[in-house]
Amino acid sequence: MRNSGFFEMMNLLYQYSKLSLKVTLEFKLDRSMITLAIFCREMIAVVVMLLILARFLHIRGWDMNQLFFLYSFLFLSYSLFVFIFAGVRDFDQLVHSGEFDRYLTRPRGLLFQVIASKIDLPATLGHGVVGLLLFMNTAFSVGIIWNASNILFYISVIVGGAVIQASIFMLTAVMSFWAIRIENVRNLIFFNARRIAGYPISFYPSLIQKMLIFIVPFSFVNYFPTQYFIRREDMELFWDGFMYMTPVVGVLMFVVVSLFWRIGVRSYSSSGNAMY
Amino acid sequence: MRLYLELAKKSFQNHIVYRVDYVASLINAIVLIFVNIAIWRAINEEEGALAGLQLNILITYIVISFLMQTVYQMDEYYIEGKVRSGLISTDLLKPIYFRLYVFSYHMGSMLFKLVMQFIPAMLLSIFLFRLLPPFSTQMLLYFILSAMLGYLVLYHINFIVWISSFWFYWTFSLVTIKDAAVMILSGALIPIWFMPTWLIDFIEMTPFNAIFYTPILIYLGMMPEDEIFMSILKQVIWILVLFSIGHILWKRAAKKLVVQGG
Repeated sequence: MRNSGFFEMMNLLYQYSKLSLKVTLEFKLDRSMITLAIFCREMIAVVVMLLILARFLHIRGWDMNQLFFLYSFLFLSYSLFVFIFAGVRDFDQLVHSGEFDRYLTRPRGLLFQVIASKIDLPATLGHGVVGLLLFMNTAFSVGIIWNASNILFYISVIVGGAVIQASIFMLTAVMSFWAIRIENVRNLIFFNARRIAGYPISFYPSLIQKMLIFIVPFSFVNYFPTQYFIRREDMELFWDGFMYMTPVVGVLMFVVVSLFWRIGVRSYSSSGNAMY
Repeated sequence: MRLYLELAKKSFQNHIVYRVDYVASLINAIVLIFVNIAIWRAINEEEGALAGLQLNILITYIVISFLMQTVYQMDEYYIEGKVRSGLISTDLLKPIYFRLYVFSYHMGSMLFKLVMQFIPAMLLSIFLFRLLPPFSTQMLLYFILSAMLGYLVLYHINFIVWISSFWFYWTFSLVTIKDAAVMILSGALIPIWFMPTWLIDFIEMTPFNAIFYTPILIYLGMMPEDEIFMSILKQVIWILVLFSIGHILWKRAAKKLVVQGG
């Protein structure tokens, strides 16, 4: 990246996305079916919540719109995450297949290549549509005034949430430089944390709350931002500052993980079994 | 018969090898149960929200459902893998019934999950979540019978989806959509009695409630005895219907494979 200007990088990014798009369009029916399937899979939790709330109207003072607004952050930020960082998500495959060695020989930044080389359109759309549906149905009925500063904060929260999730994935990606395979454990932790975060964390015992704040910080992806927009009583349980921290947590995690990444790349030795 | 028992045993032993996966899915089940119970506890705090229903009955429902889900989990891409790799052609050459072969494979893995996951997770649940015992010994026996039939209903629904890999090669989307339907309509995640009437009426006409809902109701003693026989009969009928559909599809698939040449 050192010798290339910003425009050249953008051009490269454009070429990469064109390639990804072409691959996707090559299998139109298959990819649309996958998009539909992801949409259905993600709707399970939404439908269950809908059925529960149709019956009970509210849970601990949270009504349906507020809960769905809380939920929409998870989908929208995940959608952005897979749109930009699909390469990071699947990084361990890259290392195990030996494909990563090819990246090493190219005269561009490694992280840039990993990020640019892959776009998972079905996942982006599948999650994105669920998120948009929830957002559109709730954003204007939970009492948020959408002025410039709120919109700006909202965008920074979605981006911050995407970066937080990307950092969690990158951390395990770095592990694979030392041939440590923890995909299963990561998926277990990541997707369970995400599932737990679907409801306000104040519903859970404090051990789980602390886990979602300090260890797998999903609470900054949706709970605290929601509290910023629609203040509920249960925010009393937590420090007020958390409500503004999402972008900070995102940046911090990304910086820390990038450092690990550098150390990892330096000590990387190929798995030596390129399959292609 | 010995052959198929041997196959099931092999499949059982195969599962023992993957220790990390095993521990991971055990933890996964416990976490999921834990989360769901926390949510239902929160709902319960609203005054009279559960309409007189005791919270521990609901908790037992959720726990039993998730325990059953761990056992009912099947290798959804087993047939697809065989079709795509072409291994299916050698399987068909062997002097065995392919469908029984697939079934024994799943039986082995089901038994593994029953012994290694269901039982430890249940013991943990009794301790952690104060799981209620079955309503009575008689109901326990009915529950076991009905749960086995429920497994078969799900197996045959799954088989129909799996066999579609002969036409589509990639079955991820179909499997996932099927899963979504099963998870919502079978009462695995939320008891069917909480659903709106029109949806209950619809579910009554599908095989889905025969998978989780019927056995759990029997376990809880919430189904009158004369209804139990009807429900079990319904399960048997669904198994026969779904089996026949699977049979027809299999015949066509096998023919299709000959045309394609493997």
